[in-house]
Amino acid sequence: MTKGFIEDGFIIDLGNANGTAEIIDELGNILEMAEAKNKQICLKLGAVDLKQSQLLSIKALINAMGSALAFVDTNSELTELSANNLGIIISKLSNEIEVTEDEETGSVEPETEEEVSEEEVFKGELITDKIDLTDEAEQIEEAENDEQKTEEENSVQSKELELEISKLPTLYLRQTLRSGSTISYDGNIVIIGDVHPGSEVIAKGDITIWGVLGGIAHAGARGNDFAKIRALKINAIQLRISGFYARRPDTLNIPFIQKTYEFTPEEARVVNKEIAVYKVNE
Amino acid sequence: MTGRVIVITSGKGGVGKTTTSANIGTALAKAGQKVILIDTDIGLRNLDLLLGLENRIVYTIVDVVEGRCKLKQALVKDKKNPNLCLLAAAQTRDKSAVNEEQIKTICEELKEENDFILVDCPAGIEQGFQTAVAAATEAIVVTTPEMSAVRDADRIIGLLEAKEEIESYKLLLNRVRPNLIKSNDMMSVDDVVDILSCELIGIIPEDTGVITSTNKGEPIVNDEKSLAGQAYSNVALRITGEEVPFLDLSEPKSPIAKLIAEVKKFFAGLLGKE
Repeated sequence: MTKGFIEDGFIIDLGNANGTAEIIDELGNILEMAEAKNKQICLKLGAVDLKQSQLLSIKALINAMGSALAFVDTNSELTELSANNLGIIISKLSNEIEVTEDEETGSVEPETEEEVSEEEVFKGELITDKIDLTDEAEQIEEAENDEQKTEEENSVQSKELELEISKLPTLYLRQTLRSGSTISYDGNIVIIGDVHPGSEVIAKGDITIWGVLGGIAHAGARGNDFAKIRALKINAIQLRISGFYARRPDTLNIPFIQKTYEFTPEEARVVNKEIAVYKVNE
Repeated sequence: MTGRVIVITSGKGGVGKTTTSANIGTALAKAGQKVILIDTDIGLRNLDLLLGLENRIVYTIVDVVEGRCKLKQALVKDKKNPNLCLLAAAQTRDKSAVNEEQIKTICEELKEENDFILVDCPAGIEQGFQTAVAAATEAIVVTTPEMSAVRDADRIIGLLEAKEEIESYKLLLNRVRPNLIKSNDMMSVDDVVDILSCELIGIIPEDTGVITSTNKGEPIVNDEKSLAGQAYSNVALRITGEEVPFLDLSEPKSPIAKLIAEVKKFFAGLLGKE
């Protein structure tokens, strides 16, 4: 299977289960949740051995509960053989989202507490080339909100792009990004914490910061003009959406700008080929 | 006893790491602790100058690491205080001469017989920094209230946070000028602590006495009249666990200065400016 992501994907990690009965049991519980309905199930089986018949019953269970089995991620040869015989795709889950099972409620939520250092661009990133901010020198002469479109759009394509964002997987981080950290992800990014100047957040989709955004945020990095950047306080050095970029006014370039005395939730989006920042109620 | 290994780092150069290391080390030794100071700024060593021990260095940390001498032979006792020893850096080599494993071995050996091992870190985030923090479990991040230093400190704190071995890090704000803070020309202590989200271990006021003390090779903690010296002593007390309130730096210390301040206030009141 080629690398990519599954639309409407739902990862279930049963690598720690002992035996098919436990797998079926847990799977049943998970699939009963509303969030698991009509999803493409990506089943992580770890080293669990499954005979063909067992794997078939698992697939049938998933289908019966209203979802489909997209692929399995397994370390076991027996399971691999069973999957091949049944025509079930085998793939490796390529991003580092760790699925933790909540003991009390039995719910599964994708969550990661990855520590990020400057070398460790988050492994979930599939962005290897940044959008070119062409003719930067020229743009610096112009007014605060500059634009640079790199591709033409027709209305069908733009509709697709708008909808695409809500279908992307989301990276959820609970930490403050200090200067020098970079997070990039092929999806939406939610950060509970601050983003200090000197750090970068790059996303294919939206960027939402539950804190002060002081660094650089680049949403829609693969060319989606409809991506948005939100923060409890936007004090960003630069905002970038798709091929557009905006910088903060030079008069505001004083150290204290990183602090804030009150939060004013704002959202930045591209309007009339410029990045504009709106207070949340507008 | 197992000694505590504390690295004194900053990212930015020239903010006062070596001065801090020398003074905290001296203050701890005066209080009876057994202290080893290690200079890891190989090629640009300064710690020996600040302690006035430049003439007494026979073997350096590079000699230890390359097996030309035993660790004990390379330790230089302080002029005044036998509790304090220096493991000097080599001036003729560079930071590639010592790696993480080597410094860990050295610190393991020193930990057995000493209370504190203070590692003076060089500026930067490359090999020098990596070596210096390799054996440490605690860190003191030194910064001045200037944007460039604060930005670099933020970077360093990010790197320290990513290291599991570092259990705690504290902030030391150096070269603070209370009158500039009052006139809003300098970031206040609260501003810096807010931006860095780091617990404060000391506030050291700007003191020209530091320049003289460096040139003489006598750490400023030995000067009882210096406010900076007192501040450093307080930091040493806080490291050993005592709760010491931060000095009030805005108060002028000599009676004449106090009188002048009163007179100024009086006239300012008269003129309606306050």
